[in-house]
Amino acid sequence: MKTENNNVMMDEEYNLADAEEIINKYLTFISADLVYGIPIENVVEIITSPSITALPMVPPYVLGVINLRGQIVPIIDIRQIMDKPANENNSILCVIILEIDSISIGVLVDTVLQVINMPNKISAPPSKNNLSFINGMTNLNDGSVMYSLDCDLLISNK
Amino acid sequence: MNNGMDSMIDMYLFETNSLLEQLENIMLEAEKAKAFTSEDIDEIFRIMHTIKGSSAMMEFDSISKIAHRIEDLFFIFRQNNTTDTFSDAMRKELFNLIFKTNDFMRTEVAKIEQNEPISDNIDNFINDINTFIEKLDAGEASPLETAESKKSDDKNTVAQSNASLQSIPATTSPYIIKILFDDGCGMEHLRAFMVKSAIADHIGNNFKFFPEDVETNSETCNYIIDNGFFIFLDDETQVDPTVTAIKSSLNIASFEIIPNPAAEETQHKEAESVATATETAAGNTTNQSKPSKKSNHASPAPQQAKQSIISVNLSKLDNLMAIVGEIVITESMVTSSPDLKGLKLDNFTKSTRQLRKLTDELQDIAMSMRMVPISGVFNKMNRIVRDMGQNLNKDVRLTIIGENTELDKTIVDSINDPLIHIVRNAMDHGIEENSQDRIAAGKDSQGEITLEAKHTGSDIIITISDDGAGVNADKVLEKAKRNGILTKPENEYTKREILALLLAPGFSTNETVTEYSGRGVGMDVVKQNIEKVGGIVFIESELGQGTCITLKIPLTLAIVDGMEISVGKSTFTIPITNIRQSFKCSREEVIYDSLGNELIERMGDYYPIVRLHNLYNIETEITDIEEGILVWVEASDKSYCLFVDKFIGEQQVVVKPLPPYLNSFNIKNSGVAGCTILGDGNISIILDALSLHTAFMNSL
Repeated sequence: MKTENNNVMMDEEYNLADAEEIINKYLTFISADLVYGIPIENVVEIITSPSITALPMVPPYVLGVINLRGQIVPIIDIRQIMDKPANENNSILCVIILEIDSISIGVLVDTVLQVINMPNKISAPPSKNNLSFINGMTNLNDGSVMYSLDCDLLISNK
Repeated sequence: MNNGMDSMIDMYLFETNSLLEQLENIMLEAEKAKAFTSEDIDEIFRIMHTIKGSSAMMEFDSISKIAHRIEDLFFIFRQNNTTDTFSDAMRKELFNLIFKTNDFMRTEVAKIEQNEPISDNIDNFINDINTFIEKLDAGEASPLETAESKKSDDKNTVAQSNASLQSIPATTSPYIIKILFDDGCGMEHLRAFMVKSAIADHIGNNFKFFPEDVETNSETCNYIIDNGFFIFLDDETQVDPTVTAIKSSLNIASFEIIPNPAAEETQHKEAESVATATETAAGNTTNQSKPSKKSNHASPAPQQAKQSIISVNLSKLDNLMAIVGEIVITESMVTSSPDLKGLKLDNFTKSTRQLRKLTDELQDIAMSMRMVPISGVFNKMNRIVRDMGQNLNKDVRLTIIGENTELDKTIVDSINDPLIHIVRNAMDHGIEENSQDRIAAGKDSQGEITLEAKHTGSDIIITISDDGAGVNADKVLEKAKRNGILTKPENEYTKREILALLLAPGFSTNETVTEYSGRGVGMDVVKQNIEKVGGIVFIESELGQGTCITLKIPLTLAIVDGMEISVGKSTFTIPITNIRQSFKCSREEVIYDSLGNELIERMGDYYPIVRLHNLYNIETEITDIEEGILVWVEASDKSYCLFVDKFIGEQQVVVKPLPPYLNSFNIKNSGVAGCTILGDGNISIILDALSLHTAFMNSL
C-alpha cells in the first residue's frame, strides 16, 4: 500500500518535472481593493456571515471566535492586519477558513474571486515596508497584481 | 524503522506493565492464602519467562537477568512443590523478595517510559535471589542441585550430538536455509523465532524450521549459536520472499541456501520421513525441557484475555469524540433543515428517527470508551496496606466496594496520588498503634480500611474510611494555633472547620515524621490534586470511631456547572463553584477609595467591584450599578464582585479549549478559561475567576 502511494507520488513528481514548471494553485480574494492569493493547500472552506463572538483583550484585528460545526475557530480581519480602513459595506461577511500547520484560522475578506493556476514564478519579494504578511507578488493574466499571503507569518502573530 | 522500534517499545511497556500488575495481584492473593497454588506458580513462572524474553529482545539486560533468576526460583518450586512446607519466616522472606523484584522492575520500566537509562547495578539483587535459592537448596538437601547439573549435562550432550549439519531432522524439502546470528547478540532462540515469524508474514506458515521449539525452549539457544537456525522450504517460489524477510531481520550475521541432496532420494518415502521429523522434534522437546511444554499449556489463556482488550492512544479517542460530536450536530442540521419546512415526508421522518437513534447510540459508545473502571487504582492500595501493615506491625484489611465504577481516564490517573496519601494517612495515623487498644475500645482486633466508589448524577463519590482512632479535634486546633494557620478566634471554629484545617498547607498532626507520613504535605497535596480535576474533599471524623474522607469529583473534566450571564451582546459563563453570592445593590452602598475605585462591603469585608463591561470594553446600556447585578466571585484567596448586566440561568456546559492560535495573545491571563457552545450554536466564554482578578489588577 505504502509503496503504491510512493509510486504515485513519484509519477506525479516526474510528470511535473517533465513540464519543467510546477503549477501552484491559489485562491484569490479581494480585500480593500487589492487582490491577494492563498496557496490552495491551506484552504479548508469558505463560509459567509458567521456569527462572531468577540474576545476580550485581544488586538483589534482578532475579531473573535466562531462555532464551525462544534470546532472553535478564531477569525482575523485582513483589512486591519494590512492597516486598511474597515469595510463599510459589511452586509455579507465572507470568511475563508484556513488550516496552517494544523492550526485552524478564519480570515475575513471582502470578496472571494477564484482558484487560479500559477506557474511557479511568484517572485520579487516586495520592499518590506508597509507590506507585512506578504511573501511575494505576481502579475495575473488580466494585468492586475496578486499579493501572495504569507500563511506561516499569519499564524505566528509577528 | 524508528517508528517500528517505537511501537515495539510501546508494546513492550504495555505488556510488561500488565504482567507486573498481574504478578502483584497473584502475590497479594497468595499471601492472604499463605500458600501458592500450583496454578499461581505456573502463572508466575510464565510471567517471568515472558518478561525475560521480551526484555532480552529489547536489550534491557538488567530486567531480563532478574526475571531469569526469579524464573529459576519458581522452576525449583515447580519441581518440588515445596512452598507449603515453608516456615513462616521463609515465606515472608520469599514474598518480600518477589515484591521487591516487582517494584524494581516497575521502576525500571518507568525509566524506559521516560526515556531514561535503566540501572545496571543489579548485583545486590541477584545476590539476594541467589542467597534465597541457596537457602532453599540447603533446606531441601541437594536433589535439586543434582537435577540442575544433570540438566546442564544433558544440554551439553544434546548440543554436542547436534553439532553437525546431519543432526537436523531428515527432510524432503529441496531448499534449506541456514541462518547464523551475530556473535553474542544474546537470546538467539527468540531472535530465530522472530525471523521465523517474519518469514511466516511473507509466505504463510507453510514451511518447517529447526529447532522447532525456539519460542519456548531457551536451550535451543546454544544449538543455534553452534549450528545455526534452519528453514526448510518446499517450493522454489518461497525462496525469494524468505530471503527478503531474513535480510530485513535484525542481528543476522550470515545466511546461506543449501540444496538438499536427500530431497530427491527421499521423495518416495516422503510420508515416512515427515513422520520421523516430527517425531524427532517432539522427542527433543520432551527430553530437553519440561518447562517449555508447561508454559505452552499456560499461554493460551492470557492470549485470549489479550484479544478482548486492546490499548488505544488517548488522542485517537479524543478525535473520535470530536467527530462524533460533529456527526450529531450535522444530523440535526440535516433533519431540521429549513428547506424541509412545510413538507410532508413520511419516509424521510422515519429514516431520520432511525438515524437519530443510531447517532445517539454512537455518542454513548464513544463517551464510554474513555471511561475506565476505578479498580486499577483501588487494587494498588492493597499493596500499600500490605507493606505498611508489615512495617508498622498493624493488622489491617482493605475492603473495596464498587471497584467497577467507571470514570474518565484522565481523572482516574489524577486520583492515584491523592488516594495513596489518604490510605497511607489512614494506616499511619488512623488505625491504632496496637491491637490491644482496639480490643479495649470494643473493636475487632483487625483494623479495616474501606474504599468505596459510586456514581451520583454527574459526580463520582469516593470515600476512604477507617475504623481507627479518629481525629482529635482539640489537638488539631491546638496544632493549627501553634502553626499559626488560624484565621479567626479559636472558639469560633465549628467541628467541620477544624477538620478542614487538616487540608491546609503545612499541617500534620503526628508529632514525629515517619517514613510514610508526617511532613504535613500530604493532605494539602490531596486537596490540590482533587481541585485540579474540579473536585472537592470533605473530612468527617468521630473520635474513637474512625475517619471518613470523601472525594467528590465530576465524571468528566469536560463538563462544568456554570452560570450564564450577559454583558451587552456577549454571553459569559462563570463556574458555579466560584460564585459565593449574587445581589442587587444601591448607589449608596458603593464606597470609593482614594483612587476612585469602587468597593462594596459584604459581611464585614470590603471587596472591589469589577465592571466587566469596562474591563472588556463591551458596549452595554446597563452601566448604572442599580440596574445590573453584582456577582460575588471567589477563587483561591482572591475575592471580588463582578458587575454584569443580567443572569441568564444555570447550565451545564461542555468546556472547549481555546484555539491554539489565540495562545500567543496571552488570552489565558485575561480571565478567559475556555469557551463553550450553547444550545443555539452561539459561543459563550467561560471566565476564570482567578486570572480575571489578575487582569483587573493590571488594568488599574
